[in-house]
Amino acid sequence: MIEFLSYGFVQRGLLAGSLVAASCALLGVFLVLKRLSLIGDGMSHVCLTGVAVALLTSTSPVYMSIPVVMAASLVIMKLTQKFKIYGDAAIGIVSAAGLSIGLLITALAGGFNTDLLGYLFGSILTVTPGETVLCGVLLAVVAGGIGMFYRLLVATCFDESFAHTRGVPTQMVNTALVLVTSVAVVLSFKVVGIFLISALIIIPPVSALLVSRTFKQVLWLAASFGVASVWLGVYGSFVLNIPSGAAIILVNLICLFACYVWSRGVSRG
Amino acid sequence: MQEIIRAENITFAYTRVPVLENISFTVHAGDYIGLIGPNGGGKTTLLKVLLGLQKGKGEISLFGTPLAKFTGWNKIGYLAQKSPVAQSRFPIGAEEVVLMGLPGRGAGVSRNELKEVYEAMQQTRTRKYAGRLFNDLSIGQQQRVLLARALVSKPQLLILDEPSTALDAQSREMFFDLLGELNTKHHTTILLITHDTGEVGKYISKFMYVDKSLVFFGTKEEFCHSAAVAQKLGPFAQHTIDHLHNTHGHCPLGASCKECHHD
Repeated sequence: MIEFLSYGFVQRGLLAGSLVAASCALLGVFLVLKRLSLIGDGMSHVCLTGVAVALLTSTSPVYMSIPVVMAASLVIMKLTQKFKIYGDAAIGIVSAAGLSIGLLITALAGGFNTDLLGYLFGSILTVTPGETVLCGVLLAVVAGGIGMFYRLLVATCFDESFAHTRGVPTQMVNTALVLVTSVAVVLSFKVVGIFLISALIIIPPVSALLVSRTFKQVLWLAASFGVASVWLGVYGSFVLNIPSGAAIILVNLICLFACYVWSRGVSRG
Repeated sequence: MQEIIRAENITFAYTRVPVLENISFTVHAGDYIGLIGPNGGGKTTLLKVLLGLQKGKGEISLFGTPLAKFTGWNKIGYLAQKSPVAQSRFPIGAEEVVLMGLPGRGAGVSRNELKEVYEAMQQTRTRKYAGRLFNDLSIGQQQRVLLARALVSKPQLLILDEPSTALDAQSREMFFDLLGELNTKHHTTILLITHDTGEVGKYISKFMYVDKSLVFFGTKEEFCHSAAVAQKLGPFAQHTIDHLHNTHGHCPLGASCKECHHD
């Protein structure tokens, strides 16, 4: 374990992974309760467009994907608000568009082979120092935002109509939530890969919801589960020589199962 | 008398078919209004438009301020028809739900705020549910907690959408007695959607009948003798009036009612 932690790239990967997993889990609590959790899945597919454009133009996939995914998240919101399309359908439409445009660019460019595969399945140990700083800024924004606007966020999640009649700018709260989630999704694709990002957003909050009695408890537990899954997953991938992204999600699934068993035990007892 | 709500030519449509057409009325301070009408008549939509939850055409002023510029939301308490969460896992306690009725952004709760929350819960007899998860309560208990949330900021205007449908008889009586007390002692203005004219007949001062357009708006006495109501309701007009009269075995209009005191 000590030898494993002595590598600089491992330390950086674990730090960035922890920061981004905590951010995703905290955001995920609100998205899951608002029944918008699949927005992470939709946005992750749109990441493919950003990555393909970046690889084609030899620019940074992370920095290229952030504006692309943010724009896509705003399109999802507009589709649901202006055109009265159900949220899951809007996510499906934007997700399909993002995936198809990404694949089209990839095909026209003659394929990017291993580079693209790294983004599809994650490569946590290739996280750069700049990206790690970005992950830190993201967590600071997410945690700071929740601390400052806790009641507004909870009220909007619980009862949007009532929150509106209290003068809460619910539209602004929702927009901020999906825009910050867009950044979290982009920063996550190096940790677990495009295909598994939504699991970081959904599974830790769902596990926490099974065993918590208060909203604050859910937030703390979801973030803790997310961070623990990154550490155990990366270590497991090192020991067992398996892909780190898949290992992180497997740890999350085991945690979910344990929480389910615990909650059943509590409700029976 | 202070104008609490002024609505002028309110028109609203979800699709192309209008749900509300050219509705105009004014609610004054201290009014206790029963908003009635058939299912699908636009009562709930009207309340949503008044609160800015749906954007309609026309002019709306709340407490003398145009809706778009209105910021005094603490003056208004709102209780919707349905309990907000159907999810069984929303991890929030009953007192946290009531706390939502107070202004404030951060995670901290002051002693004063807690005092106000418990006072409102006392008023609606829900103090005993403090510490319990909101979703562990029955629908009727949830509705009383939500009423506490609507009351916690001591609003000058209460807007209630069929608030008593999930309540048992005892809770319903407590609920309407509380509203009556708020109206008479604290001059709280109340706008209440109901289908049960008998239940609220003894408390309210005015009726508003909405069926896409405003069919009637006036006092109970005027309602009983309104040609517009009789024409709209047809054979049911007398039934509605009878129901209003037979509340608890006595006429809610008392000596002022010509139907009862024509001799």
